Amino acid sequence: MQVFKKVIDFFTPGDAHPVNRLLTYYIMLTLIVWPLVYFFPVVDRALGGAVVDAPSAGSQMLVDALNGDTVRGFDSELSPRLELTLSTLIILIGVIALMLPVSWVYMATRYNKVHDQQVAQILIFLPLVVAGIIIVVQHSLALAFSLAGVVAAVRFRSTLKDVRDVVFIFLAIAVGFAAGVQALILAAIVSVLFNVVLMMTWRYDFGRGVLEPTNASRWSEPLRELAKKPGANNGAGVPDRDLVIALDQKQAEALAERFDRVHKLVGPVGKKARYNAVLVVITDNLQDAQIHVGQALDDVAKRWRLDEVRTVPGKPTELSYLVRVPKTVSRDDLLTAISTKAGEDIVSSDVQIAEEPKAKSEEAKA
Amino acid sequence: MRHALPMCLVLVLLTVFACERRSKADETTSKQDTSILETREARLEQSLASNDSTAKSNKPVARWLLPPELSEISGLALTGDDRLFAHNDESARISEIDYRRGTILKRFYAGEKSLRGDFESITFGDNRFFLLTSNGIIYQFPEGQQGERVDCTVFDTRLGNECEFEGMTYDPASKGLVLACKNVGKKKSDELVMYRYTPGDESGISEITVPQKDVIGKNPWKQVRPTDIALDPESGNFVLVAAQEKALIELTPTGGVVFARPLEGRHPQAEGVAITHDHILIISDESVAGAATLTLYRWPLH
Repeated sequence: MQVFKKVIDFFTPGDAHPVNRLLTYYIMLTLIVWPLVYFFPVVDRALGGAVVDAPSAGSQMLVDALNGDTVRGFDSELSPRLELTLSTLIILIGVIALMLPVSWVYMATRYNKVHDQQVAQILIFLPLVVAGIIIVVQHSLALAFSLAGVVAAVRFRSTLKDVRDVVFIFLAIAVGFAAGVQALILAAIVSVLFNVVLMMTWRYDFGRGVLEPTNASRWSEPLRELAKKPGANNGAGVPDRDLVIALDQKQAEALAERFDRVHKLVGPVGKKARYNAVLVVITDNLQDAQIHVGQALDDVAKRWRLDEVRTVPGKPTELSYLVRVPKTVSRDDLLTAISTKAGEDIVSSDVQIAEEPKAKSEEAKA
Repeated sequence: MRHALPMCLVLVLLTVFACERRSKADETTSKQDTSILETREARLEQSLASNDSTAKSNKPVARWLLPPELSEISGLALTGDDRLFAHNDESARISEIDYRRGTILKRFYAGEKSLRGDFESITFGDNRFFLLTSNGIIYQFPEGQQGERVDCTVFDTRLGNECEFEGMTYDPASKGLVLACKNVGKKKSDELVMYRYTPGDESGISEITVPQKDVIGKNPWKQVRPTDIALDPESGNFVLVAAQEKALIELTPTGGVVFARPLEGRHPQAEGVAITHDHILIISDESVAGAATLTLYRWPLH
């Protein structure tokens, strides 16, 4: 496996991009499997020949057992035992080859910081076991019923932390099933497509709410509420005591940093907030985007500052700006200005403009 | 990500290149195949025509290994123009085999694609195929094109309780079928039993019985249980094979024993027999420890 990794590293030098590495892996796998399929019919059968039971279109040359003038193929006459051994080995190796990238994708495309190592390992083991079981019970209703009986006797309960883990487990079972019935080609298509779709949804944050584009904006709402509370901490409010106690040092520091940032955003209590909008810009070209977005903000915003630069390997950079937008400038105006100045440098942009809190006197009247 | 598109293009190009190479390789193989097939046919003709010592030793003149789809080959049928057809034990997929060159020419299906059963024998007569199951059900159908599914007419001989059928041949003299029993009830256990049956005419069923002791003769068999039957087109006699006893038997149409002898050579499970107009005996063997086979001999045997 180390050799394989080195070869992939060679073809994708220094590329931390998981999509590129995945593509390289699949290309290499295709290059290895294709000649095997061509020259070894037993590999062809394990790949899908056994499932495709339909007759071939043309004529088929038989092997001459007396004179042995076989045209192509090195295993035209294998004993059933040898063929079973070989095909089982091919199936199981094929399962590992297909599930390795799935486990990589599982580990790479996490939305939280850590992945479940057990699940990552199960993604390799589970399809092996499933494929083995299917090979055993194949074509035998009696064995299938026996298996159901045995499985019913085993109590197995496990709770997965992430809903997405369940989908990975289902994929592992599907790959195991397909491989077990000698349809590795189906397993390959399912797993490759799964990986591609998953990478794309992760890459483009498919389904992400527009109203919560960044961590900063996620925090802004509850922290603003806290900040409104009069009292300690220069009127910025005090977070829940139990919440603070529950945090470790790192989390507490991060929270303090957030508070500080939000405090700067909203300004002192009773005064107008220094910033009233959060602008999120996604870019592949960080330097140019920063310059051009800055120019656009200079034109339309009263004041602004770059709040956060968020980078994730393999994904575009996310820039968060705190902006004071005048009343005369609408959300569309701001986005149009960004697009005009920095359209070529950015992938997308979005802005969240906060409603101005009503003045105390107005609230009293109401 | 900016490399992803070129990489995808490379993958597509590689696939196209591989397909192109494959088709070119297939063309090359096809030319090789033609040459090999011609050599095979010439070799067979030479073997059949030779009159040397090997010709008198009853050695096979050709043997073909059959693909997995025919691993349970169960019956053989020859058309009037000596084209050979075979079927598998459990499916009604009929394969045409060029036994002179060793190729499968086409496959077609009797009935629906999913039609399955314990098919034991096939024969051809009066421009129709007949496929027999072990419990005496006969499917009649015409010849189909490559991959075609042809409609079947089903006949029940109602003899399923009498015996377990394993062989069937068409007798042009009586324009009916002759069905050979592998296992019969205890009452007839000392007889080799065959039935004459004309599809659609249940009242015209007649029985041909041959005492087992006459069939066994001096051979060391306890009982002969035929697995297929064929008609010798020249003599009009019936030729039977029995897998378990490894026996080859010739009977007259009335049941007289012409000969009963052990089947020589490698025949792990002889399940089909056919005799061509140009004196070739064809025996098919199910896969036991290796591929199923089709073996050709000169006929009559010495």
